[in-house]
Amino acid sequence: MKERFLKKDDFKKFADALADIYRVYHIRKGRDENLHLLRYSGEVKDAVIGGVRPFEPLKNFFFYAREKVVDGYKDSEEVGEGEDKAFCILGVKNCDLAGLNISDYVFTQGDFKDPFYIRNRERNLIIAADCSKAIDTCFCHAVGNQHYPEKNYDILMSELSAGYLIEAATEKGERVLGRHAELFDAAQRKHSEERDRIRKHAGEEVEKNIKANEIPPYTDYKDIIKENIESEIWQREADACVECGSCNVVCPTCHCFYLVDASRDGDKEVRYKVWDSCMYKRFARVAGGVNPRRHIRERLRNRFEKKFDFFPQVCEYYACTGCGRCFSGCPGKIDIRKILKDLVREKKAKAKT
Amino acid sequence: MQKNPYCPIKAKITDIIEETPAIKTFVLRPEKAIPFKTGEFMELTVSGLGEAPFTPSSNPRIEDTMELTIMDVGRVTSRLHKMKKGDVLGVRGPYGKGYPLKDFEGKEVLIVGGGVGLAPLRSLILDLLNDIDRYKKVLIKYGARSPKDIVYKNQVKEWQKNKKLSLELTVDKGDKGWKGNVGLITTLLKKNMGVDIKNSVTIVCGPPVMMKFTTFKLIESGYSDADIYLSMEKNMSCGIGKCGHCRIGPYYSCQDGPVFTYDKIKGYHTIWE
Repeated sequence: MKERFLKKDDFKKFADALADIYRVYHIRKGRDENLHLLRYSGEVKDAVIGGVRPFEPLKNFFFYAREKVVDGYKDSEEVGEGEDKAFCILGVKNCDLAGLNISDYVFTQGDFKDPFYIRNRERNLIIAADCSKAIDTCFCHAVGNQHYPEKNYDILMSELSAGYLIEAATEKGERVLGRHAELFDAAQRKHSEERDRIRKHAGEEVEKNIKANEIPPYTDYKDIIKENIESEIWQREADACVECGSCNVVCPTCHCFYLVDASRDGDKEVRYKVWDSCMYKRFARVAGGVNPRRHIRERLRNRFEKKFDFFPQVCEYYACTGCGRCFSGCPGKIDIRKILKDLVREKKAKAKT
Repeated sequence: MQKNPYCPIKAKITDIIEETPAIKTFVLRPEKAIPFKTGEFMELTVSGLGEAPFTPSSNPRIEDTMELTIMDVGRVTSRLHKMKKGDVLGVRGPYGKGYPLKDFEGKEVLIVGGGVGLAPLRSLILDLLNDIDRYKKVLIKYGARSPKDIVYKNQVKEWQKNKKLSLELTVDKGDKGWKGNVGLITTLLKKNMGVDIKNSVTIVCGPPVMMKFTTFKLIESGYSDADIYLSMEKNMSCGIGKCGHCRIGPYYSCQDGPVFTYDKIKGYHTIWE
């Protein structure tokens, strides 16, 4: 679809126009110097379109941390449109878009589908953006992803020095841009050239990270768990785990939840779908106390098995997008990059003997 | 509008049968009939408390009611055990893959149950009895901790009299009145069980440790891994392959099971826990 150009000074007009229809969230530098995904307040001076991914993963907007799924049995047999405004998320980076490959598979495929997720996926508008740089935790290339949007978005917005190069990727995106044609100029060749230069530069930064941390490429991941079931890596890493579950919370692909019944709200039965963490001891426990993953090392191994063994078997993706959030947020500094490096190394060593 | 897979419908408890001191059978009449195939399971809700998965123990030909045989072992089940006739529960389902009865036709079917594990097997036995002539033979081996822990006592007596079935019981520990076999379930799985193993399938359900040793014994007797059907009890929360709790290797127990043939799962760790 055709490329448009939006001047820096007109960004506020565009954001305001979006806010008429959507609950707009965008990336902003927080007081902690991290980038955060926050509600658009009408203020654009600290908005970040390029940069890198924010601290919070995108999944919250599609798979809520806590969502009411039953509000009286009779009234909840079917799922309608939802009454609130849909979300528009602005500045989404590719590591989060890649996470949608996994959640789309989980919630929209199979004999049963999740109508709550599907509703959010259909209504919400994703305006994606190129990463204009990398931070030292970025390693998307190692797991086979790019640092610029590849798919799963409606509009692409690449930040340039004087403005933004804008292109719709879906009909929904094109409709939104078409409604505000007066804001945009035609894009020029120099704009796409500048975008390519920024992409090249940011890509080199990602590569530098991968080299510095010796992160193996995804083509080496086959059977890294199967060949290392009994490895000492699991205990070594588990020793640092405090079972907080933050790795699950910030991960763009973690999708586990449990159903929680609240006490009766008047006459109504109320049920929530709430994020769960596979690092919690009770995660796989059954009534009576049998627990297949009693030890942290087993739960950590299960987490990796799910990401690097289960998902490539059931759909075509590894469930790690290289966003680096899990070890950024880990109080024990458990580093997925190091674990991948060690798993691949031990697998190769085993193959030789 | 899409159907909400997380929403139960109401079901009234029309009867409660006390099987043993710790096990009761609940007869439920859902507001709308929930037809199921034998081996498929339901998620049962105690309103305000939570859900737990159970496989019906009743004949699937009966559609307006279903029976669930439940042991008092956890949060939800202990509340269930305090409920009375006329109380209302939530139920949704059926989920999972049932027993593939078509594949059992013409074969000798060996059913091995332990404790409350006879619950899903009762549904299977009743379904086999619906068309008993399609199966060459149906043998049942059932073990309980003690004579008072045997479930479906009256039905077991009927089955013992039924010429179309061969039923053997054992208890881990007998009492004064017990004249039958004493010993673990594996003591009933002798080499010479009167089964043509090459033309037989075996269906096992019971506590994890019982299933483990039973499986090993059956393999020793000559059963191939693909002919051993096991019920994998895992923490199944959503029941529809979304919530992530019940994974075994590349499978979800709720969606791809809970009944698996041993060849499918034997390579994965922690299947017996």
